Amino acid sequence: MDVTLLKVTAVLYLLASASFIVYIFLVRDFVSSLSPIILFAGFAVHTAALVIHFLQTGYPGVAQFREALSFYAWLLVAGYLLIQLKYRLAILGAIIAPLAFLMTLAAFAFGTGGGELPPGLKTYWLPIHVTLAFLGNVVFALAFGVSLMYLLQENYLKRKKMTSVMKRFPSLEALDKLNYVLLVWGFPLMTLGILTGSMWAGIHWGNYWSWEPRQISSGIAWLFYGVILHGRITAGLRGKKAALLTMVGFAVVIGYFLLGDSIFPSRHGGRFE
Amino acid sequence: MNHRSAPIEVRESVAFETAYVREALGRLRTYPSIQESVILSTCNRVEVVAAALNGVSASEEIKAFLAEQRARKNRHSLDDHVYIHHGPEAVRHLFRVAASLDSMVVGEPQILGQLKEYYNAAQAAGTVGTILHRLFHRSFSVAKRVRNETSIASRAVSVSSVAVDLAKRIFDRLDDKTVMLIGAGKMGDLMARHLQRSGVHSLMVTNRTFERAVELAGRIHGSPILFEDFPRYLTLADLVIGCTGSPEILVDAGTVDKVLRERKQKAMFLIDIGDRRNFDPAINEIDNVYLYNIDDLKGVAEENLQERSNEAEKAEGIVQEEVHNFTRWIDSLEQVPTITALRQRLEEIRHRELERSLGGSLRDLSEKQREALEDMTTAMMNKILHAPMSHLKLNSKDEDEKTLYIAALKKLFDLER
Repeated sequence: MDVTLLKVTAVLYLLASASFIVYIFLVRDFVSSLSPIILFAGFAVHTAALVIHFLQTGYPGVAQFREALSFYAWLLVAGYLLIQLKYRLAILGAIIAPLAFLMTLAAFAFGTGGGELPPGLKTYWLPIHVTLAFLGNVVFALAFGVSLMYLLQENYLKRKKMTSVMKRFPSLEALDKLNYVLLVWGFPLMTLGILTGSMWAGIHWGNYWSWEPRQISSGIAWLFYGVILHGRITAGLRGKKAALLTMVGFAVVIGYFLLGDSIFPSRHGGRFE
Repeated sequence: MNHRSAPIEVRESVAFETAYVREALGRLRTYPSIQESVILSTCNRVEVVAAALNGVSASEEIKAFLAEQRARKNRHSLDDHVYIHHGPEAVRHLFRVAASLDSMVVGEPQILGQLKEYYNAAQAAGTVGTILHRLFHRSFSVAKRVRNETSIASRAVSVSSVAVDLAKRIFDRLDDKTVMLIGAGKMGDLMARHLQRSGVHSLMVTNRTFERAVELAGRIHGSPILFEDFPRYLTLADLVIGCTGSPEILVDAGTVDKVLRERKQKAMFLIDIGDRRNFDPAINEIDNVYLYNIDDLKGVAEENLQERSNEAEKAEGIVQEEVHNFTRWIDSLEQVPTITALRQRLEEIRHRELERSLGGSLRDLSEKQREALEDMTTAMMNKILHAPMSHLKLNSKDEDEKTLYIAALKKLFDLER
């Protein structure tokens, strides 16, 4: 049942992506309000799939990699829809919707079977830690999208080319402010994600910090974002440099999220004992 | 030349500062073929409109005049950058300029005011006669017709609104932004007003002569600052408009870099619309600073051209009609047919004799020598014609005398045939 719903979700995300892309290239205003609605429909179905999964198996679908992917996509869309409500940033959907679609699609590539949850993961720490860590990550993903838009807009303004596509982009100042807001939200969430992970490790493994590759990489990313935040608050770091750093930071985080465990095997993730 | 034919560097090298137009017109008058003249010099164009009986030699003289103006700054050939129109084409061109059809931003209203201003300057300098008087007044009414009968002007996106558009792409809101206006040039004045209507928070005005800054600040509700002090105030300015006639660069990249550090990298938008460059082009290389000059604004504005092309066709129709009317008037001038006939007669003779000689005794001449001969005979003809022509001056006051001369010419050269 939840698998069928997930398929519907993927189709709706695909439709939303197409709609957002049409919106960029065609000057049709109704598309701008239609696209988020399609995306919201996908989000609703996605939510239903997650709820049904929980009711059927008794644990939240976040442990296995494919579940994590799907959950991540769900949070990403949720984050975008919140931003859309406040900032009317339909154009960001053109980055987020395809991303959500690809992640949902990728979730299918990792099998559809339910599988038995390892006993070590049957704890409330799992959803709490994963949700916080993912939330931080998702906020940085949105910051990545916003930074990308900033750089595109900045590039057009510097080269003095003005296309009608650029008219759909918010002003540089608005994008920079939003980037900052996302950083301010993302950083504490990431901190909490690391803290809960560490506490869980302390309870389960007996020590809070064991220099796991995952812990090291999170620590580095945390420091990196901390430096950006500090720079923004005190040293007048803003604009193009801030956008570039935000993008680099996220590339590291997402790169590790997707590949880290296979390059540096650890107790974290799939090989959790 | 205009924004299409010549880049800003070339335009600014021949630009005429308003204060010197009179003197320049005086110099232009000393050229033998030019009978009446008006100089128009704006950010986007430098044009010399002249009435002359001999169009070819007049245009050579104007080119020499422009080259002389340029030679003071930079010596390079102007040939690639100037356009020359004669007769009805020239009339058409002026009408299109007046109606803002030739503008960088088609339909912008400023050009008509500038045209009137330079026409008045020429009138004050005494270089406007019957022909140009009529021509310019017709051009003003063509502009009025185009404005009333087509929607070009109503949809006009002036350079100012392009600038406001860009400002909104850089800044989220304008109501907490400060504008600094350097120089009291007309375009800057207009742009500052436009920004004010778009809701900017405050406005600083500076000018080399402080009185003008005070006066302008009073008119547009800004605060005047001393010219020597303006670099210190740059830190406060989010938008800076440079519109001075100053030949040297007023703000260099180093200054902006320093200002930006003081501003904690808050973005700045600099607009350079002076006759000369006021801001160092390298400023645009700095992060979080955007520098646009008049040519850049053109690029942005060009987008708007497309959708106006229908109305533009209508406007071109009006221009065509008026050109026709004006040409008819010129032809109706009493002396014109006589002059044309006289020229034709002499030209015929020159041609026939030249052909005969080149086909006979001068058969062995090289291509170069043939050309030289051609030039020499043309020059000779022009010199001979010069004196009688100037007695027939189109704006000659003495009607009786003119009629007499015309009759004499007709008889002497057997033109009635």
